[in-house]
Amino acid sequence: MQEFTVTLNGREVAAEPGMTILELARREGVHIPTICHEPHLAPAGGCPSISSCRVCIVEEERSGNLITSCGAFVTPGMVINTASQRVLERRRTIVELMLASHPDSCMVCLKGNRCQLRQVAADMGIGLVRFQRIPLMSTITDANPFIKRNLSKCILCAKCIRACQELVIEGAVDYYRRGFVARPATAGDTPLEESECTFCGTCVAMCPTGALMEAEPLYRGTAGTSVPTTCPFCGCGCTVRLKVKEGRVVRVIPNNDDPVTRGTLCVKGSYGFDFIQSRDRLTTPLIKVDDHFEAASWEEAFNVITAEFKRIKSRYGSNSLAVFGSSKCTNEENYLLQRFARCVLGTNNIDNGSRLYGTPGLTSCDPASGFFGATNSLTAMEKADVILVVGADPTVSAPLVGYTIKRAVRCMDAKLVLIDPRETRLSMFAETWLRPKVGTDLILLNGMAKAIIDEGLHDAEISEETIDFKAFAKSLSAYTAAFVEKATGVPYTEIVKAAREYATSGKAAIVYGHGITQHVNGTDAIKALTNLALLTGSRSKGTCIYPLQKENNAQGACDMGALPDFLPGYQQVSDLKSRRTFEDYWGIIPAAAGLTAFEMIKGAKAGTIKGMYIVGENPAASFPNSKFVSEALSSLNFLVVQDLFMTRTAKLSNVVLPAASFAEKEGTFTSFDGRVNWLTKAVQPPGQSIPDWDIVIKLAARMGHAMFYSSPREVREEIGKLVPLYKGIGYGSPEEPLDQVRAKGGFRSPLVYRKRPDRIPSFYLVHMTATPDRTNGEYPFLLLTGSNLYHFAGGTRTSRAPRLRKYSLDAFVDIGEADAEKLEVSEGDRLRIASSTSEIVATARISDTLPERVVFMPFALACNPVSQLLDIILDLERKTPIVKCVSVKIERIGSHGQAGSKQSN
Amino acid sequence: MDKPAASKVINMERIREIVMECGGHKWALIPVIQKIQNEFGYIPPEAIHVIAIGLKIFPSQVQGVISFYAQFYTKPRGRQVITVCRGTACHVRGGESLLEMLENGLGIKEGETTADMEYSLETVACIGVCALAPNVVIGKEVYGKMDTQKIEQLLKKGEA
Repeated sequence: MQEFTVTLNGREVAAEPGMTILELARREGVHIPTICHEPHLAPAGGCPSISSCRVCIVEEERSGNLITSCGAFVTPGMVINTASQRVLERRRTIVELMLASHPDSCMVCLKGNRCQLRQVAADMGIGLVRFQRIPLMSTITDANPFIKRNLSKCILCAKCIRACQELVIEGAVDYYRRGFVARPATAGDTPLEESECTFCGTCVAMCPTGALMEAEPLYRGTAGTSVPTTCPFCGCGCTVRLKVKEGRVVRVIPNNDDPVTRGTLCVKGSYGFDFIQSRDRLTTPLIKVDDHFEAASWEEAFNVITAEFKRIKSRYGSNSLAVFGSSKCTNEENYLLQRFARCVLGTNNIDNGSRLYGTPGLTSCDPASGFFGATNSLTAMEKADVILVVGADPTVSAPLVGYTIKRAVRCMDAKLVLIDPRETRLSMFAETWLRPKVGTDLILLNGMAKAIIDEGLHDAEISEETIDFKAFAKSLSAYTAAFVEKATGVPYTEIVKAAREYATSGKAAIVYGHGITQHVNGTDAIKALTNLALLTGSRSKGTCIYPLQKENNAQGACDMGALPDFLPGYQQVSDLKSRRTFEDYWGIIPAAAGLTAFEMIKGAKAGTIKGMYIVGENPAASFPNSKFVSEALSSLNFLVVQDLFMTRTAKLSNVVLPAASFAEKEGTFTSFDGRVNWLTKAVQPPGQSIPDWDIVIKLAARMGHAMFYSSPREVREEIGKLVPLYKGIGYGSPEEPLDQVRAKGGFRSPLVYRKRPDRIPSFYLVHMTATPDRTNGEYPFLLLTGSNLYHFAGGTRTSRAPRLRKYSLDAFVDIGEADAEKLEVSEGDRLRIASSTSEIVATARISDTLPERVVFMPFALACNPVSQLLDIILDLERKTPIVKCVSVKIERIGSHGQAGSKQSN
Repeated sequence: MDKPAASKVINMERIREIVMECGGHKWALIPVIQKIQNEFGYIPPEAIHVIAIGLKIFPSQVQGVISFYAQFYTKPRGRQVITVCRGTACHVRGGESLLEMLENGLGIKEGETTADMEYSLETVACIGVCALAPNVVIGKEVYGKMDTQKIEQLLKKGEA
């Protein structure tokens, strides 16, 4: 259909087919009030709106009909009147009827001036309601500290229901009953905490009235300032708005303008921000004198650091120093930090915290197609026809990815093939759920590849488009049905079913997480996934691979060269030409690759590393075998820690530098799928603390190396010049609306790591013949580790967010029914879990789906005890520790309610 | 109804079978719950989760549909369901006192079931045979032109 004309309020205007009347009116600058309309709730191809509130009615003059403009499409020749006498009268009645059952509590309602109903009523000049008042009753009491429901204020617009079912796909609420008593309710009409609700806060942000409110708010009014910035927790890179009142961040809401997050957030994003204002924040530099810290000025702190670093450098050489950058700091800061290590200290001993999660491993793996990181954007994942999720529970570790996968399955009819030994929220969405024995993913993936080749489901031109296909196909002959079935414990028919679904459904996406990267043969398993991607045409149909990342800027820290073997943009430090590019700007760069994080720690213990500079990381708490790490760090001659809080690592240091949090500085974060998001300064850093970039520049100047940047923007401009991946990033500033910056082409968002055109992808011959069994008589259980929705990383920040702390603090361990029966364990019992390294105490939760002799315990509890059980066993290729599982023994030590061990961070 | 509504143990296996019989598509929701209600006399709340998984929808959605329609029950009902019409025609011809009589006679209120699970007493807005008003429906049978004597007889006979 061609463009046509319609009459809007007496004016001829052009309209396109598929446009709603509301869209047309908004484009033409004609205001129509709405309440239930929400653009993010319009699924592709679905209805644009459900028109439940009726407030947006307009008159079609030819037919004389009153129609809701949000759900009606324009048709040729329509004569629309948005403000006829009839429309205004009806609209007024509609709003008055809503108010007739609405309580008179506006004065004390937390929604205050943000209430859409109140705004619409005020705009229409509605004062006292002429109808008989029939108030609704609300009897629900939710005990959770996140969301409070007062359904007497509900106008049944269904935004919360649709947000829950169409955006975050939890389905915790739906309409319940009908007529006047109808309301949104959970299954069984239970409190939210007994439902599937994950407290993501999306519905709270969308609710037009005070029916859904933030529980335990920091501020009851409407904050004056709203600052767009980026969430500092996981690698999804959700943009948020910080609401600021008198220099304090009082509320966080999703950024509704972000086309990727579409108005969603998770519980950490919505309710985990208050660590910014924690009383525990460091406010002044501290210098250790004897056994305690004394407050010092920046001047004094810099003097001590400069003197010590210079002394160590001249006495033991540059390579006795090491810098540990942060996957939580901005791109600019990591860029400066690696320059500091390379040009000021003169060493390539620089690494970042994502080493723990295997992210830098991607660089050594160099997937066949030549990418570093995700091969496509998150929005492309939603359009996939089949999604293969391996060793990841994105619903917990990367909620936005979880939403995307669930949306693809429920709303776009994609198929989900899940490979996970443990039941997760995704299991119920999976078309096929394979449950291999722990650590046998590689055999399973090779088995799938063989099934695809045996059935001839691979691409026809595969031999011409790739390298080594024949050798690869031949090498799979060992993966017979019997072998694969025995090794993985998965029935072969299931594997063939999964292989068929994966290979024949069309466009495929592969998502993998730490269930792959943190295992012994993790790198090989990634290569096996790459093979799968190549088999069904990473070229023709565009199979995309998404490695999930745990931390907000894990991708950026690696992109910026906070790595021992790579300069920014993954340019080899050993390569003279690459070094030259940067040396023109910075001065001499050492050529030999440096040490990885764990090699640094081991070096510290061995005495080869004398001084360390740790920025925004807490290895003493978050690394495996924390006892060993603490000892190693204590044996350093000199340790500087730069952080927000007095962490366990900071306590071991000689000088502590107070840094600014994400809300107190500007810069950029790169999400796991390569989107670069802005950080905007919303509040002042507490006390004397200053942003990390400022500290690094000042420290470099003291050490005799001037870095001529006056702001992160100037750093960004240099990055835009020198790092091909970030070409042009310097332009634009956070104040400008995103779309304008994008329009100028100066902002790489959403950036996609595209395949290298100069390379022909090659198959990897990766094998595993023996099945690992790390359990033994003494340690008969395999403890799997994973993420926790309510706490993050070492819990340094989330344990200081009061509401997150309140909701989930205790350490728990999931144990299968059969094992629990054998050990005579019941729900809530205290268990002692011991590995060869250490032992911890946790509360038992009985699971009916865990395999035998496997228990599960998440990282990221506020007291983070799991890492104590793990030992530093490195994957040789990536130097990433194997922290996905450890063999343990379990003993019941007490029943419900008895106190266990508790440690501070 | 084939099975007594009062059976304490719900045959979950049968519920799973019914869900699978209907093909596991979400559009089958209403036929599935109708079938369950036909066999069990009501929709056991335990069934909601099973239906949701089988049809790939959320339990809250299943509950939403069940609670929307007056035809679905989430509590066991008596072997005989007595429905008094409260339509306008029945009302003016004394439907209200019929209801009162039945309530007194059976010792239950509207919407309740007798302790022995024999009778449930319900009302309906209109059954469409206003010419015979006032009407009472027992099971699937319509009793037209009811009056207090006929009700008394029925109660005595033990049929209602």
